[in-house]
Order: sequence, then C-alpha cells, then structure tokens
Amino acid sequence: MREEIQRIQQAMEREGYVTDRAVATAVHLSTALGKPLLVEGHPGVGKTEIAKVLAVMQQADLIRLQCYEGLDATTSLYEWNYPKQLLHIRLQQDGTSVAEREADIFSERFLLKRPLLAAIAHQGRPPVLLIDEVDRADEEFEAFLLEVLSDFQVTIPEVGTVRAAARPSVVLTSNRARDLSDALRRRCLYLWIDYPSLEKELRIVRTRIPGIDERLAREVTAFIHSLRRLKLAKVPGVAESLDWAQALVALHATQLDEELVRETLGCFLKDEEDLRTVSARLDAGELAALSSPLA
Amino acid sequence: MSAVSADLVEHTTRFCRRLRAEGLPLGPGDTLDATRALDSVDLVDKEDVRLALRTALVKRVEDAPLFDVLFESFWGGGAPVRRNPPVIRPDAEEEREGRGASPHRRRTGVSWEELEEFGVPAPSAREALGRQDFATFGEDELRAVTALARRIARRLSARPGRRWKLSRRGEQVSLRRTLREALKTGGEISALTYRQRKLRRTRLVILADVSGSMDLYARLLLQFLYALQNAFSRVETFVFATRLSRVTDELRAPGYRDALGNLSDRVQDWSGGTRIGESLSTFLAGWPRLVDRRTVVVVLSDGWETGDPELLGAALDVLHRRAGRLVWLNPLLGSPGYEPLTRGMQTALPHLDVFAPANDLASLEQLARHLSL
Repeated sequence: MREEIQRIQQAMEREGYVTDRAVATAVHLSTALGKPLLVEGHPGVGKTEIAKVLAVMQQADLIRLQCYEGLDATTSLYEWNYPKQLLHIRLQQDGTSVAEREADIFSERFLLKRPLLAAIAHQGRPPVLLIDEVDRADEEFEAFLLEVLSDFQVTIPEVGTVRAAARPSVVLTSNRARDLSDALRRRCLYLWIDYPSLEKELRIVRTRIPGIDERLAREVTAFIHSLRRLKLAKVPGVAESLDWAQALVALHATQLDEELVRETLGCFLKDEEDLRTVSARLDAGELAALSSPLA
Repeated sequence: MSAVSADLVEHTTRFCRRLRAEGLPLGPGDTLDATRALDSVDLVDKEDVRLALRTALVKRVEDAPLFDVLFESFWGGGAPVRRNPPVIRPDAEEEREGRGASPHRRRTGVSWEELEEFGVPAPSAREALGRQDFATFGEDELRAVTALARRIARRLSARPGRRWKLSRRGEQVSLRRTLREALKTGGEISALTYRQRKLRRTRLVILADVSGSMDLYARLLLQFLYALQNAFSRVETFVFATRLSRVTDELRAPGYRDALGNLSDRVQDWSGGTRIGESLSTFLAGWPRLVDRRTVVVVLSDGWETGDPELLGAALDVLHRRAGRLVWLNPLLGSPGYEPLTRGMQTALPHLDVFAPANDLASLEQLARHLSL
C-alpha cells in the first residue's frame, strides 16, 4: 500500500472515523489529482463525515453547502447585503455622484459570500468544500455547479472575476434520490460506501462510544445488521446504530433485553410501518435470533 | 507522469477503451485520470491499482461488478483477455472518441417503483368512473375525459421554474433592482420592483398506436387526445399503425365528430397491423425539430410490434436522448397479471423513462405527474 494512503487511513482513524482502504485511496487520489470526490451510499453510512475528517486532517476550514430543491445562485454563490447598502446610502448624503455611490455600495464590502464563493475567495490554506446531498438540488443547479467546479472562478458583474488562489478540496455527497448527470459524474472521482461489515461496524461503535460494554456493542451491531436484511422502509444506517448505542449507554445497559429494545426502538426506526414490523418480530420472541452475530 | 511507463499507459488506455465498449460513460479525460491515479499509488500492490482505477473510472456503483470482472481479466496476472465479455449491450461496440458520454444505459428502475403507486385509488368523486376500464366505456364519459384533459393541460402550462425574471407585479420584491433604483433618489425607495419565477414551458408530443390490437382502447384514447389537443396548445399528435400520420390539425376541430371525420379522411390504415419502429423512425426523420429537452414524448401502444424490433430500439434510443422525458403508456399494463413480454415491449423497456398503464381514467390522471418536466 502506498505510504500516503496508509497515513490517510491512520489519520482518519485517529479522528474517530473508522475506515477502509477504498475510502483512504479515494481521498488520497482526490487530493493528488485535484478532482472533486463524489461519495454515494445509503443514508447514514458516513458520507458527510469524510469531508469533516478531511478538513480536520488538513487543518483546513470546512465550508458546507447543503443542497435542497430550489437552491439557486443567490443562496449558493453570493448576494448583496441590501440592508447594509441601504444604510450606507442614507448615511452618505453628500454630493457624490450616482456612479460613485453605486461603485461604492457594489464593492466587496457589501457582498455576502455564500458557500461556493466563500470557498473560491478563501484566503490562506485551501478549504474543504462539502456539497451535501447534491441529489436534492434540481438539474439546473447541477449544471451551474459543473461550471463552478470546472473553473473555480466566478464573475460578479459589479466586482469582476474572483478566482480561487488554490483549489479547494471538494467532496460531494448523494443519497441517490435522483440520478446525477453523467457530466457531473465525469467531473469527479467516485466512491461508493456500502453498509459496513459486522466487524467494521462493531469497530465504529467501539471507537465512537468508548464506554460501551463489549457485549452490548456486539448485540447492538448484530441486531442492526439483522434489521438491514428485513424489508424496511427506512433502513437504519451507521448513524442509527450509534444513536441507539449511545442511548443504551445512557440507560446504563450492558446487554439487550426485550423491554429495553421496545423502549428504544425510536432510536433506529423512523417509520411507523417499520416499527410495527419489528415489534411483531419481538412479539414472536425473535430478539435472541436478531441480536446474535450470525451471518 | 514520471513513474508510469509507456507500456502501462498503453495498457491503461486499452483497458479504458474496453470499459467504454462495455457501455461505461468514459472519455479521453478519464483515461488520463486513470494514468494519473496509477501514478499516485503503489504499482506493485494489486489492490492499490484496483482501487485507484476503480475510483477514477467507475462513475456509478452499478458499473462496479463489470469493472471488477474486466479488471481481473486485464490485470490479473497476464491472462489473455477474453473476447466474450460478461455483459454485452448490442449497441456498445460502436465506439468513437467523444461519444463516450452518450448515455447508452437507461434506468427503468425509478419508474418501476413508481408503478406500485398506481394501485392507489383516485379521489372518491371520480372513483367509480375512474376504475372502469376503457374497453367498457360508454358514450357519456366523454365529458369526464375532457375535464381530465383540461386538468392535465393546466398543470402542464403553469409550472414555475427555478429562474427569476423582473416583473411589474410578482411574488417577491427584487431587492437588488429596487436598491439600484433607489440610488437615483438618494437612497429613498420610491417604487418597489418585483420579480417572479419564469414559467417552464413544456411541449407534448403524442404518438398513438391505432392498430387492430388497440381497438378496444383507441376510441376513448382518441377522445382523450382530442380533448388534450384542444385544451393545450403546445401538443403535437401523431397516430400510427403501419404508417405514421400527423393529426394535430385534424384534431383541432370545433367538435369531436368533426375531428373524427377529419381523421378518417387523413388516416387510412386504422386497425391494421403495427410497425412501431418504422413509424417512430418516420417521425424522427420527418419532424426532427419537434423534440428537445423541453419536450415530453408519450408513446401510446400495447407494444405488439410486427416490424423490426431493432429499428424500434434504435428509434427509442434517439428519442430518449433528445427528449426531456420519454413515456410509454400501455393499456395492457393495467390488467392484473400482465407482463411486458412481447418482443416490442422488451426492446422498448431499456429506453424508457416512465412505463405506465393507460387503461382507465385513474391511470391517465396519474399521467399528469409524468408530463411536467
């Protein structure tokens, strides 16, 4: 294994992010090739976490753009600070010409930098730009994003062209709510994160919740793994395992029992139908089968 | 690219070309990325090489299994490359630089999932009528069909888009413009400027099968087409059996009976056999400018193709790439136990965005959702 990849993996583990070689390689290549990294996977498998850990590792600022339907340039790129402009005009009631005043209020001081511009205009060490859940934004925004990601420069009519001094590291995540265009995919390196194996998830639980009882940790991960094989509407991810384990630790539990599981179902099941499915399983006395680490 | 030898570059290029031949959307830039990726890992470590190439070349998880197989045959210890790949797409062999990006592969997955929703009954007022199969429809239902066509037309025309435009009276005050105006009056705001969302304009192209096998449904679907044509101006209607005819103008008549009369003058092959592929090719050749990204193309047919299925596949592939959305409505899909096994339907499925039933009013009601881009 290349030394850098090993170092990345170790650094990620140090930051409490249990990972594997594929993730470390992808992160390494993204840095080495200077290309954005597109991370896809089920909800709650730690896609966003990659960007956060990357920022800590590089001691860089993390700039996050959360995508949603209807996201547009004024909320992702820049907007003028209208109240401030207004105030400035009112305060400056001298004889300056309209042109001068206009140049004044449309200067950088009055510019609100939204995440994309903030990442491009960032001073000092290049930041990590996280474009989260890009599948939620509409296709037009995706096209706009392509433009920004290819040049890392933005032209603001009143100010001029802002160019990134050094390219930020870009991580895009997608839950596959919608298929992303081939154009965007080609611009990126690609990483698919699946649900972790039982051992890896156990390691994650142990790492993130240091005080957890060993037996409880095993039972929790095995239980969640069994659930992933059931046909649930909202399959619990790693985030749910952690939430649940955390809750159980707070309840001073050292092992699973039926009552405890029933009381805490809400930690990892987020759909009423799923709650009923799992409750029925518990009624049928399947707790032991569900929480034993069989294949 | 210091460490990567010329041999390796060549091998990588061949590998990329092979992946592309299998339908992975790769361009020359990706080959370059792959070589650069190899330069950044440990070349004697096979797992490093595999992960590096996968990160650079696999752009969606569905392609990963194919990659793994090909990687083994290409890089797995010098074994000769098998000429028979595990997955073959018939059109994948034509391989030209720059065409690598063309989306050969289609996702019918989404629409299949959506199909499950079609079991949901329509709102109660329309329910009795809605669940009645078109095959058993009487004369009086014309009005219901007309009303439905109006509803669909309204949804098609009034879709606000993502971009804004300035307007006299809009939904939001445009602060940017208002402030600019205020400069003239020393910062005193004398008039507000508004902005509103630009309307998204969708065009509809309908290609309806009127061959013998569609007889049961044709009458009512025609009424639907007539109503739609007269409720919505940006719709073009074509009918076909063995040949294709444009009937947009014929359908634009003051009454349904007039429209029917116009139609029977114009269309000669009612209830004949079906040559879907040929008809679609005629459409593409004769009206090439009708279909763009703002166009929804609806094919209305049961998929009983008596012509060449390859022609059908090719025509649908072109349509799919040009259109904003390609919808296939099949009246048979509404009947329980129907599976799209006919040759024509099998050829068509990979190219469709939406495959949905059209055997009763409720299914047409659902159609509106697929028609707005």
